[in-house]
Amino acid sequence: MFGYVRPFRPELKCKDFDLYQATYCGLCRCLRRRYGLIAPMLLNYDFTFLALLLWEPEERFTSCRGRCHANPLLKKPMCPDSPALEQAADESVVLAWWKLRDDLQDGGLWKGLSARLLSGLLGPAYRKAARRRPDFDRTVKSCLEELAALERENCPSLDRTADTFARLLQSAAPCEGERGRVLSQLLYHLGRWIYLADARDDLEEDRLSARYNPVSARYGPVGDDEALRLTMNLSLEQVGAALQLGQFGCRMPLLENIVYLGLPVVQRAVFDGSWKEIKKQKIWRNDE
Amino acid sequence: MRDPYSVLGISQNASDDEVKKAYRELARKYHPDNYQNNPLADLAEEKMKEINEAYDTITKQRSGGYTAPSGGYGGGYQQRGYAGNPNYARVRNLINAGDLGQAEQLLYEVGQKDGEWYFLAGSIAYRKGWLDEAMQNYNRAVQMDPSNMEYRQALNLMRQGGMGGYRPMGYSSSTQCDPCTAYLCCSCLTPWGGPFC
Repeated sequence: MFGYVRPFRPELKCKDFDLYQATYCGLCRCLRRRYGLIAPMLLNYDFTFLALLLWEPEERFTSCRGRCHANPLLKKPMCPDSPALEQAADESVVLAWWKLRDDLQDGGLWKGLSARLLSGLLGPAYRKAARRRPDFDRTVKSCLEELAALERENCPSLDRTADTFARLLQSAAPCEGERGRVLSQLLYHLGRWIYLADARDDLEEDRLSARYNPVSARYGPVGDDEALRLTMNLSLEQVGAALQLGQFGCRMPLLENIVYLGLPVVQRAVFDGSWKEIKKQKIWRNDE
Repeated sequence: MRDPYSVLGISQNASDDEVKKAYRELARKYHPDNYQNNPLADLAEEKMKEINEAYDTITKQRSGGYTAPSGGYGGGYQQRGYAGNPNYARVRNLINAGDLGQAEQLLYEVGQKDGEWYFLAGSIAYRKGWLDEAMQNYNRAVQMDPSNMEYRQALNLMRQGGMGGYRPMGYSSSTQCDPCTAYLCCSCLTPWGGPFC
């Protein structure tokens, strides 16, 4: 998706780091097993966070090892398949597909071509995933359509546009029962925060290419960092408040690290412009 | 009832100080201030009740008899008596019951927009998670009726930017000043493997 939701490494305990890595690699393997060789391309930090949230709280962390998809010579700690991983994998395929369709509609020639090629490749995987998660599929489709319509009419309301993406992410978890209420509230505000962070990140680019941007539509062409930061902080506060009401067992410290440290640091990087650099770095390879 | 020690997350032979400390930390976490106008406020209140009861039970057991209930961190805010536009009273009830759609509809049927109208519109927006519009509406409410403490309090809470909320131990905002954003990359999660630090 976007990769904004990540842990803050210096404050991570070793056991939590292992848990994160095993979940991340586990999600990769789950994608490969369920959707074939190109699916691990869709692997990202945001859905790793989702898998951590969805995990049954009673279930302890049992790491087993598996072969790395990118380098089969390596064995890595990987969480065994679980319903949480499967759900996160299915949903990342569905979301990736609809984002691609979105790009197809509003991209230029080259972007359009590559999106077309990718959606050809992803088609079979998407159809499988949509059969498994019909509700999520429907919600994603309708929310993104709503968002596209709001963008076309230059919607000046920050909340209204963010709401579409927030509801999209909200539907990634079941909403029944106490646990469902907690997850819904958490994911709603996380979605709102991601959307706003992404909008702030694209502000400059959208201004140059005269595209719609919710932040400039609300605060004017240069935005208003003070006000935007405040409203994003308030969303983070709600994410934290919801997190504390849920049962997440051994995954709680890791989730707390992401919510209380990772997200604020990413937010600061987005505001001061260093996020673009961080994203560009080859985070998949250690060259040193 | 659940074992009071497991409610507080401590062992049976924890010292009195440890009991108090665990209780205080949990009370800080679920304090109603952190869940004002939050759709999950009822869950927080339940938790608060649970830990209050657990703490009372433990102190009673340990003193071998009766002690005054903790009381200190009471749950929930009392609803103040309300005299005003009966429609607004209904809107308030609907908001408290979590029926935001109805509340919104009823509010829009009220013709004249005064300070309270904007305050209620702000409360509904806040509950929905539309925090920017909540802020704008609270602002209007305070502008129209600067002497009303309820509106001012709501606006100030938002203006503080949520800095007052709960953070677990070790996650205080001071650690967030660390500018080492480079660490975000988790670069060791490389498919090619790599040094861990």
